[in-house]
Amino acid sequence: MATEDIVPHVQAKFFTRQEQYSIPDNPYSIPASITAKELNNIIYSVLNEGKTANSVIEFDFLIHGEFLRTSLDTHLEEKNVSSEAVIEIEYVERQAAPRPETSLAHDDWVSCVRGSNSLILCGCYDNTLKLWSRDGKCLTTISGHLAPVKCVEWIPSNGGSTADRMFISGSQDQTLLVWCWKESQKAVDCLYACKGHAGSVDCAAVNTDGARIVTGSWDKMVKLWSFVDGLTVEEEEGERKNKKLKSSGKSVSTRVPLVTLSGHKEAVSSVTWLDGSTICTSSWDHTLRVWDMTHSEQTQIVEGSKAFFSIAYSPLSKLILSASADKHVRLHDLRTKEMKSTYTSHTGLISSVDWSKVNEHLFISGSHDMLMKLWDTRSPKAPLYNLIGQDDKILAVDWSIPELMLSGGADNQLKIFNYELRKKMK
Amino acid sequence: MASRVSMVSTKLKQGTNGKRTLDLDGEEKDEQLLMMKNHVDDSDDSEDSDDETANENEDSSSQDEVYEEEDETSEDSESGDEQPEKKDDEPEKHDVRNTIGNIPIEWYNDYSHIGYDVEGRKLLKPEHGDALDEFLQKADDPNYWRTVVNKMTGQKVVLSDADIETIQRIQASKHPAGSEGLYEPWVDFFSNEVMNMPVTGRPPDKRSFIPSKWEKQRVGQMVHALKMGWMKPRGEIRKMKLAQDPNAPSLDLWKEDAEPEITKRYRMHIPAPKEPLPGHAESFNPPEEYLLDAEEEAKWNEQEPEDRRMNFKPQKFCSYRTVPKYGLFINERFSRLLDLYLAARQRKMKMNVNPEDLIPKRPDKKDLQPYPTKEGMVYKGHTDMVRSISPDPSGQWLVSGSDDSTLKLWEVSTGRCMKTFKMEEKVTYVAWNPNPAINLVAAVVGSDVIIINPGLVDKLVCSNTDNTLNNFEDSGESSKSVVVWSSYDVEEKDKGFRIKVSHTMAIVQFTWHNKGDYFATVQKDGNKSHAVLIHQLSKRQTQAPFSKPKGLVQRVSFHPLHPYFFVATQQHIRIYNLVKQELHKKLQANCKFISSIDVHPGGDNVIIGSYDSRLCWFDLDLSTKPYQTLKYHKKALRQVAYHKHYPLFASASDDGSVIVSHGKVYSDQLLNPLIVTVKVLRGHKTAYHLSVLDCKFHPTQPWIFSSGADSTIRLYV
Repeated sequence: MATEDIVPHVQAKFFTRQEQYSIPDNPYSIPASITAKELNNIIYSVLNEGKTANSVIEFDFLIHGEFLRTSLDTHLEEKNVSSEAVIEIEYVERQAAPRPETSLAHDDWVSCVRGSNSLILCGCYDNTLKLWSRDGKCLTTISGHLAPVKCVEWIPSNGGSTADRMFISGSQDQTLLVWCWKESQKAVDCLYACKGHAGSVDCAAVNTDGARIVTGSWDKMVKLWSFVDGLTVEEEEGERKNKKLKSSGKSVSTRVPLVTLSGHKEAVSSVTWLDGSTICTSSWDHTLRVWDMTHSEQTQIVEGSKAFFSIAYSPLSKLILSASADKHVRLHDLRTKEMKSTYTSHTGLISSVDWSKVNEHLFISGSHDMLMKLWDTRSPKAPLYNLIGQDDKILAVDWSIPELMLSGGADNQLKIFNYELRKKMK
Repeated sequence: MASRVSMVSTKLKQGTNGKRTLDLDGEEKDEQLLMMKNHVDDSDDSEDSDDETANENEDSSSQDEVYEEEDETSEDSESGDEQPEKKDDEPEKHDVRNTIGNIPIEWYNDYSHIGYDVEGRKLLKPEHGDALDEFLQKADDPNYWRTVVNKMTGQKVVLSDADIETIQRIQASKHPAGSEGLYEPWVDFFSNEVMNMPVTGRPPDKRSFIPSKWEKQRVGQMVHALKMGWMKPRGEIRKMKLAQDPNAPSLDLWKEDAEPEITKRYRMHIPAPKEPLPGHAESFNPPEEYLLDAEEEAKWNEQEPEDRRMNFKPQKFCSYRTVPKYGLFINERFSRLLDLYLAARQRKMKMNVNPEDLIPKRPDKKDLQPYPTKEGMVYKGHTDMVRSISPDPSGQWLVSGSDDSTLKLWEVSTGRCMKTFKMEEKVTYVAWNPNPAINLVAAVVGSDVIIINPGLVDKLVCSNTDNTLNNFEDSGESSKSVVVWSSYDVEEKDKGFRIKVSHTMAIVQFTWHNKGDYFATVQKDGNKSHAVLIHQLSKRQTQAPFSKPKGLVQRVSFHPLHPYFFVATQQHIRIYNLVKQELHKKLQANCKFISSIDVHPGGDNVIIGSYDSRLCWFDLDLSTKPYQTLKYHKKALRQVAYHKHYPLFASASDDGSVIVSHGKVYSDQLLNPLIVTVKVLRGHKTAYHLSVLDCKFHPTQPWIFSSGADSTIRLYV
């Protein structure tokens, strides 16, 4: 055992939150230069003691809230942890890589994408919306906008007829249209148009109960619209509009905003609901602002150093992800106003980020460098997986359907990646 | 009171017996008075030692004795009843005086005597008696109350009436000598007034009115001496004395600093190095280990004398007597002297300066953020070199003009080409109207300026812009003009084309005024008077402001705030006041061929780029010469640009780089602009010996666009 005297060893305890993989709570003496792969072997051998080896399960190791990606001693050095004490190592089952499933071709750039249950909605630069079923069938192509569509969002159907699904789309023609998809007739109705913005409607978000819509626009304004009891203004539509909507056979009513919030000094790039009454907006003026919608006032402002392109809020972890003009994804905690960590791996501008709806640690980001990346918040230096597929700039990513990661980009394709959930999640 | 007493004249004349003089020291008197105070209350008198007062005289001169004798006689005659006593005391009395000097009398408390007389006999203390005697005396002696003890001699002294009067006066804070004689009238015998009657009646001397012969002789001698230089006038003598006097105040403040040579040599003296002391090896009887063995000795012999570790061989002698004379003594002494004499020892005068400290401090780049650092986007779509770009005032769109005779509109955030306008010729210049309320793009195609409404921004703005353009009614004056204004037909209008301004010659440059109504064009090699034209969009008028511009006009620019107009010729920039129609200022660029100009949004600073790869920053308040000339590009500069809000400026060059610099202009007039180069941005490839052709900052973000000969537009964020 001469070598053991030379190689520095550390005391480590292993634990897991997945009970099926738990091992006895004994401290192990392991070499300091050990890597994740060797740790895996240890766990594997302990788990399969006296058993016949079944399928190999790979684990990831968490030490002080961060994944072990290098050797143990360098990791400890970076985290500034003494190697004298017993180190607690948590291990979780490694996620399988998402599988590329299908690629849905469009006629023009895909600017926005949202999934909901079994439907996928895309907005394109050719002024149309495309509705896809989950298995890749094009249900319909909706034209109605006069300029490229910039954002789409589903309105959660609460209780009502499940066959009819509502959604909204914002466009550079300064309008937000509310649509209804009638499953039975396989047809789309334009319910009404929301007019009031003086710039392209770049982002929209719907409240969880589906009663309120908030939009952000290039004209620096944030507007709140009512879905249920808004003021409807019957309006004589222009000829062109009627021509477009001839299929529906009736004129479209127009709605005006309930509230207009001004405060941003530059274009509003992204908006998200934090809870039933507060929203968070991001802007090119380097700020994130939190607004109380019941009083229509700004309650908080977070200053960044770069223009924000996209934000995403996770109700699970209560954290905000932001993509800004400098190739980093940042994690903000609005409660403490601090920036928790920075995720750096993209080589191009990041256009869009989205949280996993079921796992509080996972999120995806899409960038102009043609890559979609799957991240774990506990691994800031390297993403879990690079999802390659897109051949041009990615403009939008979405993870609304927990099993599907969607990305749309400038190569006119919508890429779907299938992400197998863990057994626990199922 | 004591201080007052000490101030009192020490001579007290005793009124009762005027011959007696009491000469008292201030101190003594002080003490006397203190004692006196004790007794004043008592009404009893005692005169038994009255006469002894006289013996207070401290001077032992013969004169005193004379007085004393007189005293005796006088007292004898005064009080006869006391005579027998006095006679007893006579030998004593003669000696009763202070013989102990000025020492405390308490020292003699334990003795029966006080001091000694001339013969060495003890001077016995006078009898003092006990408290009973004291009491009896108090009752009997009428002079008891005025009897005090002289501390210096231990004698009792009876104060005279005059003394008491003096003391009473002092106690009453009056002049001790009495106030009678103080204010007697003063007789001025020797006044300056000439009296009627002279004191003497002598006639004046002859010499008082005849010049003195001797004085004349003396003056003659002095004049002669002055002439000969034997004698000097008083002023000169003083000067000479001052010059010689070492204690005179020196006027040369730094005289001391000039150190005399000799002290300098002492101060700078470096002692000669000492010879090392002999060690054990040098001993006549060294320990065994110092002796050379055969091998070492052979080595020693082999070596050259200067290579040897020791210049001698340690040797062992049985006794000191057997040690021979040291053979090398003379040699060593000589070489040492030679060394001391020839090898000059010198102090090295060297400054310890860290070369880093000499470089002026540059601000940390981190503090200068934000500025563009990385390439963020590439706008691809053109098929030939992109000559010119311009972002819209809100920063959402970008317009570009290319040699493939198209004009393209891009979405900044995604790189999407939104619209393409096909032109007849190469698009050499594009410019978005800087006024956000007017949505127009101007493109220079050959010799025409084409105004386009791209229709991308807010519909209301677009329609308002069109309305204002349509409102124009032609008054028919355009026939005189040097250019032709023309509108497009409906079909073309649907595409977005609005107005065409046809010039006679190819247009080199186009620039909008900040308000968006005026624009200026520069024609290439045109008729000299029409080289620079200023157009008004709302009235569709054109004027040629300069009848004859001086030199070949390269670039023009409007002042962002004031009605000034910058005209850059090859080597000069002239600033004209458009209201007064006169030359305001002329800047001299220290470069050969100006290629581009931009005016700081504050209006007080101008940067120019030149084809000889220089960038000059002018501070208009400072000078007409460049405040700073930067020569960091290797090849000709194509474009320079200021950022509208951030303290940034950039220059694009044929060497393929865009250099972004921090250029902070302070509102404080005393501070000069701070210029620090922060980033070199590369990305464009070189084609046809051209690389970056244009660069423009994003209007709101710290981003920069550049267009290049490789038919791409790049955005650096």
